[in-house]
This record gives sequence, structure tokens and C-alpha cells, in this order.
Amino acid sequence: MPLGPSSSAVHLQPLPSSSAPANRPPSSVTIHPAALFSILDHYLRRTDTQERVIGTLLGLRSENDDSVDVRGSFAVLHSETDEQVAVDMEYHRAMYELNQRISPKEVIVGWYSTGSNLNTYSALIQNFYSQETAPYPAIHIALNTGTVAGEQPGVKAYISSPVGVYPKAENAVFVPIPVDLRFNDAERSGIRLLGTPSDPVPTTDLSLLESTLESVLAMLDRVLAYVQAVVAGDKPGDAAIGRYLMDAFGAGTEELEKGGFASSLQDTLMMSYLANLVRAQAEVSARLALVTAQ
Amino acid sequence: MATSMAAALAASLPAPQAAPTPAAPTHDVIPASMSKVIDIEAEIPVTSVQLDGLVVSKIIKHSSDSASHTAHGLLLGLDLDGTLEISGSFPLPHNSGDEDDRSSKTTGRYQASVLRSLKEVRADDSVVGFYQSTTMGAFFSHTLVDTQAIHQDKLRHGGIVIVHDVSQTTRGNASFRAFRLSREFLNAYRKNSFSARSLISNKLTFSSLLEEVPLKIRTNPLLSAFIETLTEPHRSTLPQAHPSETFSAAVPPLYSTSLDLGNAALTKNLEHVIETMDSYKTEEGNLAYHARQIAREKARAESYVAKRKEENASRVAQGLAPLPEEDISRLFKIPPEPSRLESLLLLGQVDAYAKTLEGTSSTTLVKMYAAKASSEI
Repeated sequence: MPLGPSSSAVHLQPLPSSSAPANRPPSSVTIHPAALFSILDHYLRRTDTQERVIGTLLGLRSENDDSVDVRGSFAVLHSETDEQVAVDMEYHRAMYELNQRISPKEVIVGWYSTGSNLNTYSALIQNFYSQETAPYPAIHIALNTGTVAGEQPGVKAYISSPVGVYPKAENAVFVPIPVDLRFNDAERSGIRLLGTPSDPVPTTDLSLLESTLESVLAMLDRVLAYVQAVVAGDKPGDAAIGRYLMDAFGAGTEELEKGGFASSLQDTLMMSYLANLVRAQAEVSARLALVTAQ
Repeated sequence: MATSMAAALAASLPAPQAAPTPAAPTHDVIPASMSKVIDIEAEIPVTSVQLDGLVVSKIIKHSSDSASHTAHGLLLGLDLDGTLEISGSFPLPHNSGDEDDRSSKTTGRYQASVLRSLKEVRADDSVVGFYQSTTMGAFFSHTLVDTQAIHQDKLRHGGIVIVHDVSQTTRGNASFRAFRLSREFLNAYRKNSFSARSLISNKLTFSSLLEEVPLKIRTNPLLSAFIETLTEPHRSTLPQAHPSETFSAAVPPLYSTSLDLGNAALTKNLEHVIETMDSYKTEEGNLAYHARQIAREKARAESYVAKRKEENASRVAQGLAPLPEEDISRLFKIPPEPSRLESLLLLGQVDAYAKTLEGTSSTTLVKMYAAKASSEI
């Protein structure tokens, strides 16, 4: 799942070596919506003079495979001029300590910036964050907001490695690594909610079911149109798609037919009846409390 | 713990910002169209709540991270012309220990320092309410009511509480609701009396404790553009890619879990209902015990008074001076009427659980018949 315009970059996977597992650079990054959205919010709150904003990424490192899960982020003050770059380290430390009290498992994994140009200052900031995340290497996430004409919005992740005969702080090569958006069920429905802001919220279970069924119907229509086109010979058939379709429509409902339906139906009906009964009783009880003492 | 958290919030909240500022010279600066909208005295009542996309994702994250306990946090924002715009939030640490005083103090300190830090990066730093996560729709609790009652006094417009239902959201229906305390409840709360008489005079039932405020979600243009890009499918750059990989998007279309036929959620929901019923019954037992106690004491007091009157009558008849009528309230301690708040809240919880159960079971019914119909084709 690409997070942005496709690139021709080839992601080099370092061979798993048993020599120094702690310092091995991560091979992939996953990012959660909350982190992404706070970066966007921070970008909106920048001052006129700021070209880009930076901040700290918090997340978890997985023990077995070399992936980093970015779960949150916070803004950090910084200033860039022609001569120098300054990052408010005290602020960064204070915010990290505050965050530790909420979610002690999340640690500093790297930093983000908006815009996609990497320059000397990027290398300097990367150097600073590498000290923060030591002994693990820091990751850098560049989020292009797409507000500059001609640029596509997207997210890129980098790790850095020193370059040159004598390693210097301002010299680094940024190696791109794959980045994915990751969400659990709850976050996914949050995105669904944000993707359709015109809908009135909150929706009920039934209306959710309705919209889901409608989307399934639309999918069936599309599949039907495709199959008819293939049968009529307008489109070349694809064996792989045919097999997928067969798997999908061949799904059995034997369990329902084996008499499980009736008993399950009874259970559910009973549940519904019970729920109504409880609600009626609760209402009556609340009303009676208002009457008795008079 | 409930009161301690409330106390901590009270201690650390900024003083009400409704203090009238000497606004006379600035009148001509404000354009005519805006002067109606800006209310320094907080006179325009809040009629709707607008929740920013960032807050939605932050609350979801915090709530799903802290599955074992309820998540609390503060909401930041501003109100403009009757709409409370919530544009930021931050989580509050979960106090597990019982050291009430210490933990409430540290919560207060934590809150102050987060607000200071947010101000530094130009984020919103005015507290407008708090959020709470819940499961299966049952959000009535002492903590919620106490905290909100304190906010009602401290904050502009009394503050708003946003309730987020984790179990609903996991099933694909992100549920956010905004509430504030009703006037009737506040009347009773201020007098600190939840006796039967006070409930009657305020017409309080569990459904009139809180009043719901309409809520809408807003995503700023940058965010919605970004989401749009994420949901847009990309054609794979590889030639002859596998059909399942030809098109891919960062956010694939939602194949909702709402078509799931399983009813594991129902069982758990039913358990919750029964559990709450049990505690409600215990609470009712307590109340009944108290009521009996009161009745007994009252009867004793009355019989004492009657006896004294009889005695006096006979003494008068005999020509003796009557005995003084003593103050019975000093002789008999009639216990105060117990608070019915707890039972009210429990009843509200029972109702909320049952409502969720009702909704889920009716959807399950619809799904079952749908599956049956489709299996017969």
C-alpha cells in the first residue's frame, strides 16, 4: 500500500545478521492515522516565516522483525536560518516525559518534517535524534502536504547512514524505506467517519448495515457487468479473477441450513425481547421513584 | 478516586474567562458582522458541537490503547456563535492507585504543564470540556457526573463531555456523542441533595440527567484532501502484477465487519446487563434498609410525642402543671435521607446496556434473515 505517489526507489533489505541485532536499521515503517493527522495539524499552525515544521515521532519497535510502528507524534519548536538550525531540546524532553505518563510503552523512534526536501539541516536534526534513540537508529518521516503546486501529497520514510571518510554530523545519506498506513478496526471506522464528513453522525447500527449492503450491491453490479462483458467476448477473461470469483461465491452457508438457523433465531429473538423488557422496567422504576413518596 | 480527580481538575482549571474586559475602545475595531458573533460574556448559548478530525483520531487512539480502563482526556477549543469548535485534545493519565491526594495533585500538575507546552507551539490551550471512553453505550458514572459538575461552574458555557463508544467503533460505527448536564440535575447537585423529594421536585430520571448536544465532525481542507489521496487507488508500477495487487490504496475501501453474523458481542452485552442489574439490586436493598431505618426512628419519635401529650392531658386533668414539650430532634436522631444518585446512575447504565443489546440483536435479526434468503437462492 503506497502512501503517496509511486516511486522507482528500490528498497534494499539488509540481510538479517545475527551479529548486532540492536543496531540494525529498521526495514519498514508503519504509521497510525493519529500521528499523521497531528503532523498535518501542526503544519496548519505554523507561522508565516516557517517553511517546514518538525516534531518527534513516538512508537514501538518490534522485537523480531525490523519494523517500527509509529503511533503518535508531537510538535517541537525549531528555527532555521541561513546560518543555523536550532531545535528546542528542552521542550522535546518535557513533552516526551509527559507522554511517558500516558503511554509508557511508546518511545522516541525518530522525527518528522513537512515538505520533501532533505538538506544539511535535515542531516543535523537526524544526528540529534539518533542520539535520542541510541542505540537504535532514528527514522525520519517526510510528509509532503501537497500544498505546493506541482507536488503530490505523500509520506516517505528514511533511515540515515553516515557518508564520507570521516563521519561528520552534517553528512548523511538518507535511504528510503517502505512506509505503510496501519490502523486497527476502531481507527478504520474513524477514517470512514472522516472521509464522509457530510453524513450526519452518529449513525445507528442499522443504517451502517444499510450502507454496507448498498456497497456490496454496487460491488456485485460491477462484478456482474464484468462477467457479462467477458461472456459476451468484449473483454478478455482473466483466469485469476475467475478463480477469485468462484472462491467468493462458492462460500458455503451449510451451517445455516443444518437447523442452526432456527435455534439461533430463537436466541436472538429472546435477546431482543429481554432487552426491551429491561428497558421498560428501568423506565417504570425511574418513574415510580418520582411518585412513591408523594 | 472519583472525587479526587474532580478536585484535581477543579484545582488546575483556569479561572472562568467570562470576566468582562474593558472592551469599550475596541468596539469600532470589530467589524459589524463579527460583533454579534464574539461574546465576551459567554451569553450566546452553545447549541452544537463541532469535532475536528484530529480530535476524532486522537480519542480513538487513546480509547483503544487503554482497553482495560476508561480513558479520560481534556478537550481544547473555542466557541463561536453558538458552535463549540473542539480543535484539540490531550489524554489524562490513568490513576490506578488509591493515594487520592497525591495522584490528583500530579494530574493537576500534568495538566498545567501540557497546557503550557501546547501554548508554546501555538496549539489551542483553552479547556472546553473532557472526553470519556465507554463500552456498549453505558457511560453514566460518578466520575463523569462529578467532573462535569465541576466544569459546569469553572468553564465558559459549562463545558461539554464527549462520550466515545469503543465497542461500537470496533464494529465499524465510530460513535461520538456530546452531552452536558441538565439544569434539573444541576439544581439538585448544587443543593447536594438527591433525596426522593428533591428528585420529584426536579423531575429527575436517568434520562433527564444529561442533555445531548448535536455533534458534527469537521475535517479541515488539508486533512480531507490528504484522506482523499490516501483512499485513491494506485495502479501498480510492476508489469503483470497479480490481480489482487494491481490496484492498491493506502486506505482500502471498507469491507465492514458489520456483515459478520457472529453474536459474540451479544453474550458479553447480556453479561453486562445482568451485572449492572445485580449492583442495582444491591443499591436498592441499601436504600430500602435506609428507608426502613428512617421509618422506624420516625415511628419511635411520634409515639414518644403522643405519649407525652397523653401524659400532659392526664396531668392537666389532675390539676398538675404539664411537662414541657421537649425537642424531639435532640432525643431521636432521624438519619438523613440517602442519596438516590447512585441508583439513578445504575438504572441509567442498565437502560443504556439494554438499549445497545436491543440495537445489536435487531441488526443481527436482519442479518440472519438476509443470510437465510441469500442461501436459499
